[in-house]
Amino acid sequence: MEKIVATYKKNVRLLIKFYPYKYRDFARISAEAALAASDQGKFWEMHHLLLKKSPDLDRDRLVAYAKGLGLDVEKFKSALDSHKNAGIIDRDLKLALDLDLYNTPTFFINGRKIVGNVPYDYLRKIVQEELNAVKP
Amino acid sequence: MKHFLVIFIGVLLFGQAFAETKRFTIPLEGSPSQGPQDAPVTIVEFIDYQ
Repeated sequence: MEKIVATYKKNVRLLIKFYPYKYRDFARISAEAALAASDQGKFWEMHHLLLKKSPDLDRDRLVAYAKGLGLDVEKFKSALDSHKNAGIIDRDLKLALDLDLYNTPTFFINGRKIVGNVPYDYLRKIVQEELNAVKP
Repeated sequence: MKHFLVIFIGVLLFGQAFAETKRFTIPLEGSPSQGPQDAPVTIVEFIDYQ
């Protein structure tokens, strides 16, 4: 997805929704970590780091990642421990369940549903189709 | 029997060719985003980091 955004910079807007699988230990806390970083203006830095470091996402490691990104660690920890952004995650979870999603990642490209880790070329094809539809 | 099968497959193919792509409407407010607000392509990604 990073590559799509880089390729189609001006023509693509990417939004992230959280669908932490409930039986994975660190799924939820890592979503909280992304949002805690977002509170300090570093969502995307943390987002990419979490994707890279997965599945090493226990609390101690998350705090270390925050430190590495130059975040205010005390603020970061307090956001994790108080579940400051739980509302956003719960809202996204409810949406995911309403949409009957059963897998991550799931993408919606202009509303077209694509399930799973599909090859880059497939994503690119769909994005290109959507672009062609607006810009003949 | 064969004829029925041919007709059946024909209808199936015809239906697919003219089927509208199903599009879901996803609320966007309050989610982390990057890229221009008015971009022609909007991608929503549901993610699990683990």
